Amino acid sequence: MSIDWITVIAQIANFLVLVWLLKRFLYKPILNGIDARETEIARRMGEAGAAREEAEAAEKSFHARMAQLQADRDAAVAKALKATEEERAALLAETHTRLAREQRELHVHMEQERQKFLARLQQAGAQTLVALTRKALRELADETLEAAMVRQVLGQLAARADELAQAAGSDTTALVTTRAPLPEDLQAQLHRETDRHLPGFDLRFATNAVQSPGLILQVGGAQLSWTVDSYTDELTTLLDERLAAEASGRGDTPHAG
Amino acid sequence: MQLTPDQDIILRLGEFGLNATIVNTWIVMALLVGGSVLVTRNLCPDVPPNRWRTLLETIVQMIQSQIGEITQTSARHVMYFAGTLFLFIALSNLLLVVPGFAPPTSSLSTTVALAISVLCAVPLFGIASGGLGRYLRHFIEPSAVMLPFNIISEFSRGISLAIRLYGNIMSGAVIAAILLGVAPFFFPVVMDMLGLLTGLIQAYIFAILATVYISSATADPPPPSPPEDAP
Repeated sequence: MSIDWITVIAQIANFLVLVWLLKRFLYKPILNGIDARETEIARRMGEAGAAREEAEAAEKSFHARMAQLQADRDAAVAKALKATEEERAALLAETHTRLAREQRELHVHMEQERQKFLARLQQAGAQTLVALTRKALRELADETLEAAMVRQVLGQLAARADELAQAAGSDTTALVTTRAPLPEDLQAQLHRETDRHLPGFDLRFATNAVQSPGLILQVGGAQLSWTVDSYTDELTTLLDERLAAEASGRGDTPHAG
Repeated sequence: MQLTPDQDIILRLGEFGLNATIVNTWIVMALLVGGSVLVTRNLCPDVPPNRWRTLLETIVQMIQSQIGEITQTSARHVMYFAGTLFLFIALSNLLLVVPGFAPPTSSLSTTVALAISVLCAVPLFGIASGGLGRYLRHFIEPSAVMLPFNIISEFSRGISLAIRLYGNIMSGAVIAAILLGVAPFFFPVVMDMLGLLTGLIQAYIFAILATVYISSATADPPPPSPPEDAP
C-alpha cells in the first residue's frame, strides 16, 4: 500500500475537470431545465388561474344576464297577461254592449214586426169581418151592411140627440163619413132622421178611403159611429192573449164554440 | 495479487507510466459526462422529460435536497463539488462488478486525491463565504489553546476520509478476489452484491461528510452569549 503522488496529482486534476464537465453538461442543464419547467408551470398555472377567473367572471355575468332575462321575460309575460286580460275584458264588455244593443234592436224589430203584423191582421180582419157581416146580413136578414150601419147610428142619434146638440154649439153642420159613398135611399133616410132629431142642422156626406169600414156622424166635437174597429180590436186582443199564453209556455188552447 | 491499480501500468510515456487508476478514472469520467451530454443535449422546457432525463433530474434533485438539508442553503457551488464526489465515487464503486475493472476508488492515490480536494475545498468555500479572517478565527475558537487541536482535527478529517474510502473499497475487492479462489461462484457474487451496497454507502458518506465540513466552514458563528453577572 503506497501513494503514487503523481497519480494523486493526476486524480486531483481529473476530479477538478470532472467537476467542471458535470457542472457544464449535467448540473446546469438539469437545474436550468427544472427552473424553466417550474417557470413554465407557474406561468401556465397563472394563465390557468387567469382563465379560471375569467371563466368565473363570465359565468357570473352569464348568470346575471340570465337572471335579467328571466326577470324581463317574467315582466313581459305579466305585461302580456295584463294586456290580454284588459283586452279580453274590453272585448267582453264590447260584446255585451253589442249583444245588448242587438237584443234591443231585435226587440224593437220584433215589436215593429208585431205591430205591422197586427196592423195587417187588423186590416184583414176588418175586411173579412165586413165581408162576412155583409154576407150574413144579406143571407139571413136580406139587408145590406150599409143599411144596418145607418140603422145602428140612427138608434144612437135618437138616444143622444140632446147631447149632440149641446156639443155642436153654434155649429149646425153634421158630417157623415164612410169609406164608400152611401146609397141615395140611405142618404135620404139619414136626412129625414137628422131633421127630426136635430132640426136646423145641415147634413153632409163625405168619403174617407183610409177610414175603418163603418159610418161616422160628427156633430161639432161629438160623434156617433159604428165601425169594425171595435171588433177588430177585440180580435187583436184575443190573438195577443193567445200568443202571449203560448210564448209563456202555458199552452192555453181556445175552447171550440 | 495487486492491492492497488496504481501498479498496473497500461501505457508508458517516457518516464511517466499511465496506470490503470488514471485510465479507469477517465472511463468513469467519460461515462458520466457522456451520459449527461446524451440526456441533456436537447432540453426544452415545453417538452416532457424522457425516462433518462427524469432519472438524472431525480438524482440531481436528491443530491440538492440532501445538501440543502445539511447546509440550510441552496448554494449550488457546494452541490457541484459534493455531487460530483458522490457521482464519481458511486459509479466507480458500482463498476466493481465489471470483470477486470479495478475501481479508481480502490487506489489510495485516488482517495487521497479526493481527500486533498476536500481539504482544499473546505477553506476555499469558507474564505469565499465569510472572508479569510473569519475562517482563520475559527481555529482559535473557543480559545487559542485549541489552535493545535483544531489544525490536527482539520487534517485528520482528510486522512480519515481517504483511509475510510480506500479501506472499504479495497477490502471489498480483495475479499472478492480471495473468495474467488476459495469458492469460484457463490461467494464472489454475494460479496460483489454486498460491495455494491457498501460502495453506494461509502459514496454517500464521503459526499455527506465533505458537505458537512464545508457547511461548518461556511456557517455563521453563533452569537456571543451575554456575560453572566458576578456573584
